[in-house]
Amino acid sequence: MLAPALAAAAVLVLLPVLDTLWLSLHDVILYRPRLRPFVGLSNYMHALSDPVFWESLGNSLLWVIGAVSLQFALGFAAALLLNRSFAWRGVARALVVVPWALPSVIIGLIWTWMLDFNLGVLNNIGVQLGILSHSVPWLAQPSTAMAGVILAVMWQGFPFFAVTLLAGLQAIPGELYEAAAIDGAGAWGKFRHITLPGLAGVIATALLLRMIWVANSLDLILVMTGGGPGTATQTLPLHAFLTAWSGGNYGHGSALAVLLTLLLLGVVVTYVWRSRRE
Amino acid sequence: MKRRTLLSGAAATLAATPLARPHAQKPVTIRWWYHFDDPKATPDELVAAFQKEHPDIRIEPENIPWGGGGDYDNRLYTSIIAGNGPDTAMVKFNNLARLIEMDAIVPLDKRIDAWSAKSDISADLWRLHTAPDGKRYYMPLQYVVLYLYVRLDLLAKQNLKPPTNFDDFLTAAKALTGGELWGFGMRGGSGGHDSWMPFAFGTGAKPVQGGFVSPQGLAQNRYFIDLYRTHKVCPPSAPTDAFLQIVNNLKSGRVAMTVHHISTANTMAETFGDNITAIPVPRGPNGSGFATFGDGSNAVFSASKNPEAAWTWISWLSTGPNNVLYNKAAGQMTVTTSGAANWTLHPKRFVQATVDSLPIAGVLPNLPQTADFTRVVWPQNTQKALLGQIQPDEMMQAFEKLFFG
Repeated sequence: MLAPALAAAAVLVLLPVLDTLWLSLHDVILYRPRLRPFVGLSNYMHALSDPVFWESLGNSLLWVIGAVSLQFALGFAAALLLNRSFAWRGVARALVVVPWALPSVIIGLIWTWMLDFNLGVLNNIGVQLGILSHSVPWLAQPSTAMAGVILAVMWQGFPFFAVTLLAGLQAIPGELYEAAAIDGAGAWGKFRHITLPGLAGVIATALLLRMIWVANSLDLILVMTGGGPGTATQTLPLHAFLTAWSGGNYGHGSALAVLLTLLLLGVVVTYVWRSRRE
Repeated sequence: MKRRTLLSGAAATLAATPLARPHAQKPVTIRWWYHFDDPKATPDELVAAFQKEHPDIRIEPENIPWGGGGDYDNRLYTSIIAGNGPDTAMVKFNNLARLIEMDAIVPLDKRIDAWSAKSDISADLWRLHTAPDGKRYYMPLQYVVLYLYVRLDLLAKQNLKPPTNFDDFLTAAKALTGGELWGFGMRGGSGGHDSWMPFAFGTGAKPVQGGFVSPQGLAQNRYFIDLYRTHKVCPPSAPTDAFLQIVNNLKSGRVAMTVHHISTANTMAETFGDNITAIPVPRGPNGSGFATFGDGSNAVFSASKNPEAAWTWISWLSTGPNNVLYNKAAGQMTVTTSGAANWTLHPKRFVQATVDSLPIAGVLPNLPQTADFTRVVWPQNTQKALLGQIQPDEMMQAFEKLFFG
């Protein structure tokens, strides 16, 4: 019964992984198709001795921690709000999914123009309200560019947490809250002793999954900054992509992709271990 | 045996009958990859006109996503490696060296020399379309030369004339900067290398080995970076400003001068009327100067089974009225002298600035690294220099190292 699924996984997952490993041990330049010398671990050594790799790794950590924590915070708040009864709740629940449904390229372009120095609506509102004394080139300064792309990915990804946590909230029996109220628990007490423990499993799974997705994603950054200014927003997957796609250096690009996979393996193993335990 | 002979004879007779001829004369199909900046533009009219003249050739145009050039180029490389490449395709200089290294394209010298319309394309264009090995692999199709847009009304308020040299350019940029207006719309983002080259190579440095780190090259690059860092005559967003930003900044009156080319001439003329013009980029002393040449050519691929038919199509596209019709869709300049003489698609002054820039037109080194330079190495290093993370000289040393080791 498992054979078709295993065969599909082998063809769709295992073969590309093995091919990437094989490429990473060779000097593969796209425009030199006849030359593919075996170079052993040379691509890995080159990657690890390149300062850009370490800078990209640091940016990746900032990107994942910033994006996932903000998505989680906003998604959790939205889930708590949508779990309450209010007029037009159905419409609100449908609308909250919109950012999740939009293609990353569209979201990237929307936020690029919203954050634009010359014509951006956020600068305009900030100046009108007196929050900003003058327009800020958000995506052109290393100090603010990463915050700009994290803001965009927060908006894109919070619906995932909102929908997942909302489903978790609805699975918590209402009787628990009634019993807690009889025992004199306030709103904070109910949240701390019923909601949080009741959602713990969902939160852990959602955080792990989202960490893997965000760590791998590069489309939003590619559209908004291309990794710039300089290399201020260049994450590890973007570094691998640019090396392979623009530089035509598939050997080095594959080595970077393998290193990223190894780094993510810890998160993946935790996720698999949790899934099996559940 | 007799029966087999009889059947063979019958088949031969059948093949010789008029009924069999349509099959024998089936037109050859030429797959042509192209890209137009305007997504609504199509080559259908051209293809129909060509096929009417050449019923033995059927053109199969394929519109390939551009993706800043990277998507198009990589699709082309991978299709060639997979053995599924087109017969002919639009190509750019920045992938010439890679395509030669792959043995993917054929030299066109013999065909070009025997081509009756060769003299209708200027010597300057043929010079620019010659590969480092002295051969011509690319057939000129369209071109632009980068020039300087200047707001005449804003300059007049400062009693200044359009700048023709780097000293005057800096004087004008400083005078025009103030409040929400900046003198120069610098493009530090994607594609910005095109508008940087007239500055870096404007006083005699050449984009050849040693040229990037020559005294003139280093000095001019410092001049370019200082426009942003020291003189602050560019919008603060300049390090990441790309095509849309520099065009919108000029159109919205946020900047007074910027470097671009004729594809935006009509929109600028519609916005500002006679208050805007274009002039060749500033020149250095002794008449030195460098205007970036933006090419668009066709090449015939080695794997094509019908190279003659492919050549017939691309040479037809580069011939007088056909090339004018093509460039109506592409929005760029015709490569033919006859077409340029009666050019009505753009206001005359912008055409003049383009043609006047041709003698100093130049391109980046035709090396396999060029594509990586334009997409990654140039923007990363330039942005770092603009933001003070590296020195301008380090930026040029990085470029020299990339190209020449």
